[in-house]
Amino acid sequence: MRPENYQAINHPPSHEYELNFGPNHPGIEGNYALKVKLQGDQVVEAHADGGYLHRGFEKLMEGRLWIQNIALVPRICVPDPVPMEMAYSLAVEELGGLEVPIRAQWIRVMQLELSRIAAHLFTFGGHAATTGMYTTMYWGVADRDLFLDLFEELTGGRVYHIYNIPGGVRRDIPDGYLDRVTSTLDYLESRLPDYDNLFFTNQVFVKRATGTGTMTQQQALEWGVTGPNLRATGLKLDVRRDDPYLVYDEIDFDIATEEAGDAWARTLVRRKELQQSIRIVRQVIERLPSIGGPIRCPIPNPLAWNVPAGEAYARIDSSKGEVAYYVVSTGGDKPYRVHVRGPSSMHAVQVLENLVTGGRLEDVAQIMFSLDACPPEVDR
Amino acid sequence: MTEHHEGHQSGYQRLQAQKSLKEILEIATEFERIAHDFYTALVPKVSKQIRYLVEELAAEEQEHFDLFQKLANNPDLEKQVGTLIDTPANDHGFSDCIHLPDLGDHPDDQAVLQYALYREHAAMEQYSALADSTEPGPVQELFRYLAQEETKHKNELEKAYYETVHRGGV
Amino acid sequence: MTDIDYKAKGSILNPLKNLQFLGRRPVTQPLEPRPASANYRGFHLNDWEKCIGCSTCQKVCDNAAITMVRIPDIKEDPVNGIRNLRPAIDYGRCCWCGLCVDICPTGSLSLSREYVHTCTQDEIDSYFVLPDSSGMHGTYGHGWRKTADADLVDLSRHPMAHLEPPQRSDNFDEIMLGFTRQEAILEASRCVQCGMCHDACPTHMDAPEYIRAIWQDDPEEAVRQIYRTNPFPEVCGRVCTHRCETACSIGRRGEPVAIRWLKRYAMDAVAPERVKEIAAESKSDYMTGKRIAIIGAGPAGLTAAFDLIKQGHQVDVYEGLSEAGGMTRWGIPEYRLPAAALARDVDVITSLGVRIHYNRWIGRDIDMATLQLEYDAVLLAIGLGLGRSTRIPGSDHPQVRKAVELLREISQGSVFAVPRSAVVIGGGNVAMDIARSLARLQKREYGTVRITACALEDRAHFLADEIEIIEAIEEGIEVLDARGPQRCEQHADGRLLGLKTWKVDSIFDEQQRFAPRYDNSDERFHEGEMIIEAIGQMSDVSVLGPELTELLEWNRGRLKVDAAGRTNLPWLWAAGDCVNGPDVVHAVADGHRVAASIDAYLNIREDVA
Repeated sequence: MRPENYQAINHPPSHEYELNFGPNHPGIEGNYALKVKLQGDQVVEAHADGGYLHRGFEKLMEGRLWIQNIALVPRICVPDPVPMEMAYSLAVEELGGLEVPIRAQWIRVMQLELSRIAAHLFTFGGHAATTGMYTTMYWGVADRDLFLDLFEELTGGRVYHIYNIPGGVRRDIPDGYLDRVTSTLDYLESRLPDYDNLFFTNQVFVKRATGTGTMTQQQALEWGVTGPNLRATGLKLDVRRDDPYLVYDEIDFDIATEEAGDAWARTLVRRKELQQSIRIVRQVIERLPSIGGPIRCPIPNPLAWNVPAGEAYARIDSSKGEVAYYVVSTGGDKPYRVHVRGPSSMHAVQVLENLVTGGRLEDVAQIMFSLDACPPEVDR
Repeated sequence: MTEHHEGHQSGYQRLQAQKSLKEILEIATEFERIAHDFYTALVPKVSKQIRYLVEELAAEEQEHFDLFQKLANNPDLEKQVGTLIDTPANDHGFSDCIHLPDLGDHPDDQAVLQYALYREHAAMEQYSALADSTEPGPVQELFRYLAQEETKHKNELEKAYYETVHRGGV
Repeated sequence: MTDIDYKAKGSILNPLKNLQFLGRRPVTQPLEPRPASANYRGFHLNDWEKCIGCSTCQKVCDNAAITMVRIPDIKEDPVNGIRNLRPAIDYGRCCWCGLCVDICPTGSLSLSREYVHTCTQDEIDSYFVLPDSSGMHGTYGHGWRKTADADLVDLSRHPMAHLEPPQRSDNFDEIMLGFTRQEAILEASRCVQCGMCHDACPTHMDAPEYIRAIWQDDPEEAVRQIYRTNPFPEVCGRVCTHRCETACSIGRRGEPVAIRWLKRYAMDAVAPERVKEIAAESKSDYMTGKRIAIIGAGPAGLTAAFDLIKQGHQVDVYEGLSEAGGMTRWGIPEYRLPAAALARDVDVITSLGVRIHYNRWIGRDIDMATLQLEYDAVLLAIGLGLGRSTRIPGSDHPQVRKAVELLREISQGSVFAVPRSAVVIGGGNVAMDIARSLARLQKREYGTVRITACALEDRAHFLADEIEIIEAIEEGIEVLDARGPQRCEQHADGRLLGLKTWKVDSIFDEQQRFAPRYDNSDERFHEGEMIIEAIGQMSDVSVLGPELTELLEWNRGRLKVDAAGRTNLPWLWAAGDCVNGPDVVHAVADGHRVAASIDAYLNIREDVA
């Protein structure tokens, strides 16, 4: 446009302005954008945009062999990848009528809870950082690394474990592995008072988180909230107890809840879950040595594997909420359709938009992190 | 071929009478020449598809002929004869029950091989017997050498026999 | 659950708690390279000695990160299933899932414990790596590797129902009963589609394609794929020497895919009339007017006839005996290959228009000169119909028989006095065939089996298939190895008494050539009213007549042909066992080769005219 033709656009007088929150910011794990409309520092409108990270998983899966997808699914949630592998495997197992050996089921429970611990440590660090406390983040990430060490030893990979396969798991536990898990759990337990002092009872955090991003139990249910975020509104709902998978019905654990429904309550629920996960893993360590047998049931040649036609829905309680896979097979060697129900697809869109609206700019990042959302689950 | 057969018999006396290494070799060389001539004459008489076999036998006799002749003309023969015997070849005995002293009018490949085996076996035995009946010394060593050469030849023929007759039975 | 006292405002001295951290060890990670865990999925290692270039890793790779690269220095060996391809990894695509390791049929692939970056140089092409056994950076060795409980290759074959010894030992019913649909699909699913079978097969059957079709429950497509290269699927589905299975990459560590039985399943699953339609799909819709004579209705002759009729030529097959099939009809017993199965194959071929003239013996009923005159081309596919004799003393006794001739009599249903005891000389499949056929007749007539089979070779070098030996022993046959026949003994009254053998000390010489060595101190006598010689076979080339024999060129006793199967005479081709030695599928391959050569020759003649 030549300068002589340029005409300035005259906006109507307003106090409102738009701010692009993201896609790179400390409010969420990975790239995620929130367009917020502000009046002063008051948020009047928010619009979530998840399309800045991995996308198109569901479509990709339709073009891959059943087994090839096991390398793809953990990428849908980087900080907590195990539930993704697990839900996919459970769904394919249901379709194919595969009986997962008991030993593999216990190993799977151990993985799920270790993954939850690692994910929570990561979230605490991030959440603390949104309130300006970076030490928690350093500690959280450093301690999470010890759990990644355990995963490296068990699965051969630190982050993308690709360890669960329809039918069981890919390798048996290494010699002496359970002892090392025990010592890492002991260490984490000894660290909990430090974390409490530093973060959970820290008045900076308590005061900033209390009453921030509050939702009622009714709202939570309407918005499709699950997992720790729902339990923070006082509802004792947990797939592990209410619709047990694997061997969770043989395991003794409490469901952590809080009543307030705010950012503080959500974080406290996670903090309590750490202890419950440690408790669950310790039960696995006790039981596993007495459970023999294979780690995987026989599966067909992966290159010529027709999974019987049908549909299956498998759900799991992850650190983020309820992960579910809806898998449809038409009897071919690839899935006809895979739908990934990532909990973040609710938490990071309608829940976040609602909670942020009416809040203040400085709380946006904290609310985002308190919901513990994982962007690839949104635009999958 | 009957006369050839007898030739070997009388050859035994002829060789036994010789004391000079050169003369013994000359007689041995002559046997090879007779054999070569025999096979060469046989070539057109057998069916075309097995002529290769007779031609190969003739060629091998020619080789022996050349070898012995060269040896006979070697001035150091006396000194060398002891070193000619390497590891004495073992007789495998594989073909001993199928010897064919008479070729007949329309020999097939198997018959030609059987006959050749018979010849080599007879020569081998003849030289061995001569060696056994000779005092230790260069003459005995020469006979041993000749027996060894014929045994080697016989072993080679046995391999050809196995491959022609016994394989393909799958 | 410990409750967290978040409401407590805490003491004003709380910040002093920080002081305790002065005494704690900081978290420090060294920057030096360190080995990752024993199970780590690092960079690829590939043992080139074990790797066969089957490309299965490439197929399972979810990111298309693997490219198979041709290494000219490695020798291709299709017979043993070795290609000179080796996987190269694009680390710009690899996601280190390790599926390539878990599925590798040979176990050559593993991943290292290297805990470093991909690129060691600035160049972008360092992302492309051709791994060998020392790995990308040569440090820290194996991490993730194949374990028995995590193998993704199905190493065991699905068994096929078959008759047990009591059910089969007194009859000629077919032993193998065939796969059911479900069994065939399961067995077919074991295939990794590497195509080693295709490369090893003399006629290069599209085995991966028909196995895939069977797995997809589409036997008609399987039959279509089969008929592209083999018009004798009923025969080859039963008695093929299955080099495909020898080369099968699954067979490197486990039991090869039952390719032969799958072929048979496809034929079992499709109605013969439908097979005929499928076989005729690519038939030429015009006739060229050229005429070809084929001598011998065995697999080689009829395969050539099948190809030539499809190309639009007129084909006349002259067969000396009363039925087609050659050695597969007369030399292979019914319990291995029922005549009805062979007849179905022949039926498909004749349904295309091939004319077979039975009981027409060349040299007796019709001579070569006439054929040369009346036809544009002549193919000689006369097989190896004559048995060799050991010619040991006494082998001219009338009760000393040759296996191929006796097998033919049994197949023809000729009546002869079944000996109460018999000795078979030979250790090949023909020896087993005659021994087991006689055993069935003995069982039927006398209720007991008294047969001894003496092989020159020791057990480790037996020429017969292992399964033949096992089943022969199951059926009550005494199988002796390393026995050299010496003499057929007979009674003063002329009755045959049996065979005298010597022990064979060794079968190979230092150059690994066959050179049997006897130990005549170990002599044994085997009783037998009949002795059957089942050693070598030879061609009855007398049909050619002396003039033609003289005109033709020969190669060590066999007809000399060029690579296309043509003799030195422009109108005469030769194919099958009489050129290559005994093997059904080789004969089929030869039939194709010769047909292509004849067709090309006839087309050229047309152009000139």
